[in-house]
Amino acid sequence: MIGLQHYLVVAAALFSLGVLGLLTRRNAVHVLMSIELILNSANVNLVAFSRYAAGNLGGQVFAVFVIVVAAAEVAVALAIVLTLYRLRRTPNLDDADILKG
Amino acid sequence: MEELTRSLAWFRPELALVLGLVAVVVVDSVGPASRNLAMRLLTLGALAAALGFALELQAEGANAALFSGMLVVDPLGAAFKLVLIAAGLLTMLAFSFRNSRELHGLGQGELFALVLALVLSCLLLAASNDIVMLYLALEMVSLTSYVMVAYLKGDRMSNEASLKYVLFGAASTGTMLYGLSLLYGLSGTTSLPGIQEYLAGGIPDGNRFAVYAVTLLVLAGFGFKIAAVPFHFWCPDVYQGAATPVTALLSVLPKAAGLAITMRFFYGALSVPEAGAWDLMGSIHWPALLMLVSVLTMTIGNVAALTQTNMKRLLAYSSIAHAGFLLMGVVALSENGARGLLVYLAAYLVMNLGAFLVVTLVHLHDGSFDLRDYPGLHRRAPLLTLAMAFFLLSLVGIPPFVGFLAKLYVFAAVIEKGMGLYATIGAINVAISAYYYFKVLKVMTIDPGNEDKPPLPLALADRAWLVAFALANLVPLLFWDRIEGWARGALVLYAGR
Amino acid sequence: MTGEAAVFWIFASLTVASAAVVVLSRTLIYSAFALLVTFFGVAGLYVLLGADFLAATQLLIYVGGILVLLLFGVMLTHRIYDLELRTETTQIASGLIVAAGLFVILIAVGLKTEWPGVVRPPAPTTTEIGRLFLGDYLLPFEAASVLLLVALMGAAMIVRRRTDA
Repeated sequence: MIGLQHYLVVAAALFSLGVLGLLTRRNAVHVLMSIELILNSANVNLVAFSRYAAGNLGGQVFAVFVIVVAAAEVAVALAIVLTLYRLRRTPNLDDADILKG
Repeated sequence: MEELTRSLAWFRPELALVLGLVAVVVVDSVGPASRNLAMRLLTLGALAAALGFALELQAEGANAALFSGMLVVDPLGAAFKLVLIAAGLLTMLAFSFRNSRELHGLGQGELFALVLALVLSCLLLAASNDIVMLYLALEMVSLTSYVMVAYLKGDRMSNEASLKYVLFGAASTGTMLYGLSLLYGLSGTTSLPGIQEYLAGGIPDGNRFAVYAVTLLVLAGFGFKIAAVPFHFWCPDVYQGAATPVTALLSVLPKAAGLAITMRFFYGALSVPEAGAWDLMGSIHWPALLMLVSVLTMTIGNVAALTQTNMKRLLAYSSIAHAGFLLMGVVALSENGARGLLVYLAAYLVMNLGAFLVVTLVHLHDGSFDLRDYPGLHRRAPLLTLAMAFFLLSLVGIPPFVGFLAKLYVFAAVIEKGMGLYATIGAINVAISAYYYFKVLKVMTIDPGNEDKPPLPLALADRAWLVAFALANLVPLLFWDRIEGWARGALVLYAGR
Repeated sequence: MTGEAAVFWIFASLTVASAAVVVLSRTLIYSAFALLVTFFGVAGLYVLLGADFLAATQLLIYVGGILVLLLFGVMLTHRIYDLELRTETTQIASGLIVAAGLFVILIAVGLKTEWPGVVRPPAPTTTEIGRLFLGDYLLPFEAASVLLLVALMGAAMIVRRRTDA
């Protein structure tokens, strides 16, 4: 029988993988993808709780807002990445100084 | 429907800002070439109207939940709104595209709209009563800040700083979101009073671990907003990379809103109101955790500031340290603590804005943010140096300046709760901070150098604002009892759905 | 094993495996396409949880919007003929320790806690979500429009080439 715990484990796995990517990646777009994993993991939590623990749709409504925010964040982040690329005139966005300290 | 109209009546400051925002966007799109002045007036008008409405709200003593429990208006919230709107208004008045060299030649409409959006988001964040609203408002504040920092898009360092800000911020708020999702699962509701009800009802031992985890995760988001350790790494680069008026705004608004929601969350969801104070629900001792964060923050902020030569970075670390002091108000978990937080924020507003104004003006005329270019300013700009002296002494917390009043409040709140060691560490930090604040003053006044440079031609408006901020740092002590009364009257946190 | 369980295991392993590829792959393009699979997997999990509206939203916005934007970002910031698109990873060991530790802690939280067992049997959600958006959650719904305005304006302003007053 599939229950709440199963989904929570999946979410935990996604979150941990996202944090791993966050800590080990140096390219900005890779970090952005890891952040998306983290956001999705929280969403899985929310929807699973909505179904098995809370019994209401608050979690799902919350999840929709998270998706909205994620879209806005990615748009702004990529705009900055693009501008940075233009300024540095190099395709290599691995940047030690951005992500250190 | 009646809920909606009733709520809108209490929503007047935010509505003024929304209308201003829409108006600025429209004028920017279709207006003639001379629209810059119109947009500035619209922005100032919207902020002034919002301030007026907020004053009305405080006078009316409102205490209710709005929009089906999404927001809360209570006396404490009204006081925070005043501080937030005043911060936005003062920054817009004192700083402009004219006196900031970094902003010369850039499109103005977007910045005005962004300022209005930032103040609006901060108001929503400070009043959030539901975790959905909390998350959305927090992200609104963050996104607006990211864009404002990226405004100087021609500058590479500015872009790198804003990218760092976005990635760090998105990661922190994502972590906080995971914690909020667990909180939803535990309590079955998204409203903070509902969560408080759940926690007050006694949680089984097995769930205590989860509540600890939630607290740590949620702290990631709050810590990022107020630039507390260990979520402060973005602060110096972002403060340095952003245009100084933007930095001035960011040093006050998101921090104040972040502290307001931190207080609301911890007092309102993780504590239970007792007679005249708050009490923990016997399970998790979050003040200890916040105390640790506060101590680390003030110490690391102060120590790092000691070696800075870039004024913006120095003020950034100073800001981080002040967040540590501000947290003392939250840790105290008492009415005096909340009052201390409020007074400190109001004082911090005038101290910090004044300091940033000085830095902006020096950069306008000399083109430098480096402290090593500051010698001789006492001769070249005596009024500016005197004002800066006021700001620096206030930042240290020396009487008779308002910074002293602020520190007095938070220290008293903490000592009253028996946290002597904590207060001692705070006092040591004040001493450490004195070193670098006095160093700046010394460089400006005593150090030799720049004898051949001419006096700074400060505009009348700039002089007026320097005087205004300087007086704001000095005069409040004369009206001590008025301030006491205002803060005391503000101390009602809405408790209910 | 029931049908539901089988489908769950398929989608769950798909999601987690592709997420691992996103995080561990050296090449940006592989990561981007793995992320696509992850998003699909999550949408499948939503369907299993009875969240029909959310699953559709996930596909439309995450796959159709965010992922496309990410792919644009990847393509526009690398020379295509390079085909290298490789990126570095640093400090894998300490990252792994932290991530593994977090995983253990979160699993413990998930399994040890007594979650309230209020179950919502699967039912169409769209109507109710719509009512919630225009009812209880009206303010966040409207505030989100300001958020999107700021993001739109901001992204356009940042990327625009001319700086005009």
